[in-house]
Amino acid sequence: MPSRRTFLKTSALGAGALALTPSFDSLLGAQSGGDAPRRFVFIRKSNGVRPNEVALPTFSDKDKELDKNKQPLEVDLENHDLPAWLQPLHAHKQHMTILQGLSCMMSENGHWSYSSVLGAFKSGRNSLSGIKRATIDFELAKLFPSPFGHVELSLTGNYSSFRTGIVSGYSAPAAHQRNYCYADPQTAYNELFKSVTNPDAVDSDNAMLAFLQNEETFKADVLEGYEKLKLSNHIESIESIRARNKKLTKMADAIAKHLPTIDQVHADGGPNASTPEKQKAMTDILVAALITGLTNVVTYTIDELSTPIRGLPGNESDHISIHELGHNGGYSGVSADTIREHIRVGHIQQVATIVERLKQQPEGDGTMFDNTMVMYFPENGETHHSRGTEAPFVILAGKNCKLDLGGRYIRLPNHGTEGHKTIGNWYTTLLNAHGNPIEHYGDLDLEMSRLKLDQEGAIKRFLA
Amino acid sequence: MSINRTTFTARRHAVVLFTCIVASACVDVANAGSAETFAVSDGAASLMGRYCVRCHGEQKQKGKMRLDTLASMDAEARIDLLNRMQEAIHFEDMPPEDEKQPTAAERAQLEQWVDGVLTRAGGSKLDDKLRRPDYGNFVDHDKLFSGQYADLKPFTYDRRWLISEYIFNEKFNRILNEKPSLTIDGKRQFVSGLHTKRVMLTNPFLLPTDSGVRYYANETLNGGHLLTMITNAKNAAECMAADLAHRDKRYLPAVTAIMELEDKQRDTLAKRRNFLEHHIQRVLEDVFKDQNAALLPEFVRVDVPEPIPTDGTVKKAPFHAANPGNEETEIIFRSMRRYDAPGQSNADLIAKCEREWFYFGHDARKIQARITFLNNYMEEWRANIKQYNLENRYKVVEYRPLDDAEMQAVTAALRENRKKGDRYNAIIDKCMARWEEAFERERVAAGPPGSDQVAALVGQLFDQILERAPSTEEAEKYAALARTYFDSLDRIHAIEKLIQTLVLKSEFVYRYEFGQGKTDAYGRRMMSPRDASYAIAYALTDDSPDAELAKAAAEGRLSTREDYEREVRRMLARRDLYYVIDESVHNPNDIANFTNMPIRELRFFREFFGYPNLLSIFKDNKRFGADYDNARRRLVTETDRLVEYILEKDKDVFGQLLTTDKFYVFHSGDNEAMQASSDRIRKIYDYFKDKDWQHFELEDLAKHKDFIGEMKMRGIDVARLKKDRRYNPLNAFKTQMESFTLRLDKGQTAAAPYNSFPAHGMANAASRLGGRLQSPEVAKFFNVDMAHWDYPTVQPAPMEHRKGMLTDPAWLIAFAHNTETDPIRRGKWIREKLLAGTIPDVPITVDAVVPEDPHKTLRQRLDAKVSDEYCWKCHKKMNPLGLTFEMYDDFGRFRTDERLEYPENLVKKHPDKGPPHEDLRDEYKTLPVNAKGYLDGTGDPKLDGEVTDALDLIDRLSKSDRVRQSIIRYAFRYFMGRNETLSDSKTLIDADQAYLKSGGSFDEVIVSLLTSDSFIYRKSIKEYAHAE
Repeated sequence: MPSRRTFLKTSALGAGALALTPSFDSLLGAQSGGDAPRRFVFIRKSNGVRPNEVALPTFSDKDKELDKNKQPLEVDLENHDLPAWLQPLHAHKQHMTILQGLSCMMSENGHWSYSSVLGAFKSGRNSLSGIKRATIDFELAKLFPSPFGHVELSLTGNYSSFRTGIVSGYSAPAAHQRNYCYADPQTAYNELFKSVTNPDAVDSDNAMLAFLQNEETFKADVLEGYEKLKLSNHIESIESIRARNKKLTKMADAIAKHLPTIDQVHADGGPNASTPEKQKAMTDILVAALITGLTNVVTYTIDELSTPIRGLPGNESDHISIHELGHNGGYSGVSADTIREHIRVGHIQQVATIVERLKQQPEGDGTMFDNTMVMYFPENGETHHSRGTEAPFVILAGKNCKLDLGGRYIRLPNHGTEGHKTIGNWYTTLLNAHGNPIEHYGDLDLEMSRLKLDQEGAIKRFLA
Repeated sequence: MSINRTTFTARRHAVVLFTCIVASACVDVANAGSAETFAVSDGAASLMGRYCVRCHGEQKQKGKMRLDTLASMDAEARIDLLNRMQEAIHFEDMPPEDEKQPTAAERAQLEQWVDGVLTRAGGSKLDDKLRRPDYGNFVDHDKLFSGQYADLKPFTYDRRWLISEYIFNEKFNRILNEKPSLTIDGKRQFVSGLHTKRVMLTNPFLLPTDSGVRYYANETLNGGHLLTMITNAKNAAECMAADLAHRDKRYLPAVTAIMELEDKQRDTLAKRRNFLEHHIQRVLEDVFKDQNAALLPEFVRVDVPEPIPTDGTVKKAPFHAANPGNEETEIIFRSMRRYDAPGQSNADLIAKCEREWFYFGHDARKIQARITFLNNYMEEWRANIKQYNLENRYKVVEYRPLDDAEMQAVTAALRENRKKGDRYNAIIDKCMARWEEAFERERVAAGPPGSDQVAALVGQLFDQILERAPSTEEAEKYAALARTYFDSLDRIHAIEKLIQTLVLKSEFVYRYEFGQGKTDAYGRRMMSPRDASYAIAYALTDDSPDAELAKAAAEGRLSTREDYEREVRRMLARRDLYYVIDESVHNPNDIANFTNMPIRELRFFREFFGYPNLLSIFKDNKRFGADYDNARRRLVTETDRLVEYILEKDKDVFGQLLTTDKFYVFHSGDNEAMQASSDRIRKIYDYFKDKDWQHFELEDLAKHKDFIGEMKMRGIDVARLKKDRRYNPLNAFKTQMESFTLRLDKGQTAAAPYNSFPAHGMANAASRLGGRLQSPEVAKFFNVDMAHWDYPTVQPAPMEHRKGMLTDPAWLIAFAHNTETDPIRRGKWIREKLLAGTIPDVPITVDAVVPEDPHKTLRQRLDAKVSDEYCWKCHKKMNPLGLTFEMYDDFGRFRTDERLEYPENLVKKHPDKGPPHEDLRDEYKTLPVNAKGYLDGTGDPKLDGEVTDALDLIDRLSKSDRVRQSIIRYAFRYFMGRNETLSDSKTLIDADQAYLKSGGSFDEVIVSLLTSDSFIYRKSIKEYAHAE
């Protein structure tokens, strides 16, 4: 592992600390080394994940009691059944971790967390100035550059209809910056696979960049000293984006090979598409974006409170509000708990599809999944009106995962007690394991601070 | 000083050893980046051997530096080491004070050698560092103000200056015709400072968040900017070409002209679609007459679940949660209206609607959802229709045929495209596709736009985006580019691409400040009038030059110092422009964070003091004893208002900022309104206080309903004095009276006009934007006991234990940690910002964690941590200043005892929630606060020395010339966008004198700076480059 100082000197993070600007550009950097990149998929879901929903049904009485009382616990998944809604992942138990006991009180809680849950900071609701740092997904994307750097997808809306197009996202490339995201499958498809689906648009982009590069070069030629840098850096940036575009064009064959098929129902934002149809299409796109190498990191908000739920099995003709489910409101005689479970089943089916598709894709002497980590977690903690005391994570990671946690149900010490871990510790673990030696990522938990409990650094037991 | 024998021997040994090593290396001094060719010159080797190697050689490697292996180390390490050497020599950090010092000539000789080596290797970081804001104070303060250098002729190098985050917002607001407005004091005003809502833009020009001066002309465009700007350019271009130019023909007439045919076609298509979507049923009947029914598809009903039982056995989602949204409800309403008939069952009505939706070809799932909704919520839905008067909102669209030609086109298309079994949407889509194909052929036949149109387009886009006309050469070049776009893209996308190109020009994001015209005797030229107009505009605002300034530039009236002064004074006096000070603080429902003074005047002090940084400090509500998150934004905006108040007075500005005992605390800034709100509470209290209101029943309220109605008591509808579910007027009345009594029954002079309980609607004081004034907990930062508060309706008003900005809780929190104070940063701020002092960078090896100890105060723990010589060398510059503020805790509350907030020291736990006047903090053991400190560095022996606490310290600082001059130096950097040099000495002295002669006017400082040679005159960058 590089030392902190060496890392700061050699990484874009170090340069970014001095710079005025976001470190987006670092995403364009070349992949170091010849190893296969690591991939990360963050799947955010709304309305909380109640800790008892991920508890194993076959716990021994003793373990059940420990789990219920939030006492530390670790069992092998191989010897247990998964909860019913997690059954789609049954075949992947050896690569699965149910991680209980992480808290997220230093991020926003209640209904929404916005950018904060991936950045481990309080954002003062959804304010831009409250975005304190690049979110963890962007930090990981910096470590594993790719043509797109980072891709964000979301299925969100205004309770009655879905957002469409390119809209503001939840991840943050840098402090005070909000990422954009693709809000419907067709837009994601059009934008991500443009080099294949719309080469003319790429050509005109390149023509524009070539013109700009010539013009700025002409101006820069007469400058000297540090003023010259003010244009030459810009020119180099244009050059690197042109190079990225060229690379994308070269990748066209590979992209074409894995181009997903998007159903006609998703045209024009897909106003008639059901929620499961949208989820399925997004999964196809997500997987294709990873397989084609367009990105190594995807953040996907599979739903948030205002996402309309339409066409859900068991409630096909209902127009369901997730918020209402949080207040225990059922639809068409189906209880809120049951609908919540159906929604989660839909999510986990998508997770299973991602895992299975990546397992089918050869890479090195194994498959792409070997180098992939998929995390499914609540954006806001343990329930609808959460405090953030718990944020259960369901993690799927391939055999090359640098963390030692596969095949287990792990409950960490409870919030406010010795040994408790926060999402800050978890993200630090991810970063440390993958080459960023940061001492602690994210803000500290103020209640833990008041109680003078240690809460900094990686979760050492996971570092293999 | 005597040298003991051991020391002397060791030093001699080091010199001999070092010389041997150097002699064994190659002779030629060459590239520091090449191990094979690098060597140290004899002179440098000798000097290092004499002054450096004893501590940085084979025997010792203090600071992990070793100079005797320079020749053999790898290139990267050597450049790193030489950079550290260069700084140590330049800033005279080395040798240490207690070691033998080189002469000035020797120091210069060694620095020159290091400079040369690094310059040749292209690896010197010192120049870059010296341009950075945190290195501004390394220019000797005494020399700057001594007058010794006042004969030097000030200037600034020609430069490009990257736009700030604020200018970015205003630029896009301007090019997108976005004019945000707010109702301020009841009047609608256009405001600057709010970002555009028209399109999604990401601002890549964010400034650092440090206190001091944040915006310097050092930054360069990089890939991060460009990637972000590419997306911004696309979004903005689409909005400009496809939306704004289409809606407003005056916006970009050339776009309108080029798009004339497309727009006409678009309008025709839109009219035809709209007509058919509303009337296709009737038109089909008219066109196909008797055959129409036979051409319709066979109606197939959708499956829907059984309605939810109404016997209460199943919990039904409330209406609002089942509501499918406005778009759907409009469709449902319109269909229902068409088929509703008296005496008809709901089932029949729904069936008719379903048939219509089926024929229209609506998605089956949507039809299912509509029917499910109607089956389960018909009663609520009909009530909703009445409540929101949907009859009126969704007016009937009467059938009006299109003109004859259009009707013919529509009829022909319907005849041509309708097939048996087609649903209406399929028919419409087929007609539209045919028409679009025909229009496309028409467009192709029309060819690309003419050269006049393209030339006009280029000219207008230059004007709209770059605010200037293109040169002849540019006009030709960009017209040629546009033609290539028109050749490969359709018109709208070609226009968008041209817009993107202009937005992505570096000129769009760089401010230009270049000299023009004759060079004076000192090699300087005045800024060009256009550049000067922008320089002045951006010095005082975030906007482009206002009309008068632009006119002055265009008419050649920005060519003398007097011209500059005229415009600067005019702009400083303007009060007709409103600015949102900080978009992250502003909240139209609560926080009125605006000003009408030139925003950058106010922003200087915001950034200088750095108090807005408290917004990123989150705190434990339990430790605050109330809701901190809400109160902190009020605290910032009230501090902004205080700064504005002092700047508006414009007398003894620095003194007032440092020593005022008056503050705004839960106050809108409108004294009359606050008095009226407070009087209202007094009136209610006086009316009821002797009426045994504690035992009132609803009928008692009725006896006083006229008064209650007149006073608009919160939560009480005098026409509805009965309990109704959550509505309970008696509770609302008693809660208010209890709260009002608390605020007045101890003889308080006035009641703080906050709300007694949370609820929607207005009551008590309003913000100047008309929203509710909230978060009275802000008073707790000032140690106000809200149950005993003599609320000052006229503010700013004196607050106990406070003296100026450094005792404002906003500043104290901004310079605190999340859980405790931060004497080091407080001291550092004073050293650097008020005493023009310097603090070295924190060595990377330093462990900055202060050990925990439940039995000691922070000061005691800190003292133990930094007492050794190595730490104290730097900390002596900060801690004795910052520790005086230990009389305030990390929330800025005055204290005499420090709470030892460790679990083992808990004395009493308090509830987590309660009304605003209750202190919800847990109680801990305490230790007395020691706020003594030491002031040095004012250069005035009458002021330097021991201080009793922060108030004593502030008092002395406020009397210091050096403090006043230090603020002037920061003002210089703020308005010039760079660090001062000795050649700016005259500018600084003049600004200082302007301040003194005017009785402390900051306006005069600004006028002085913006009419100084440093601002007006420019030199070619070539001189700088050749000076390297």
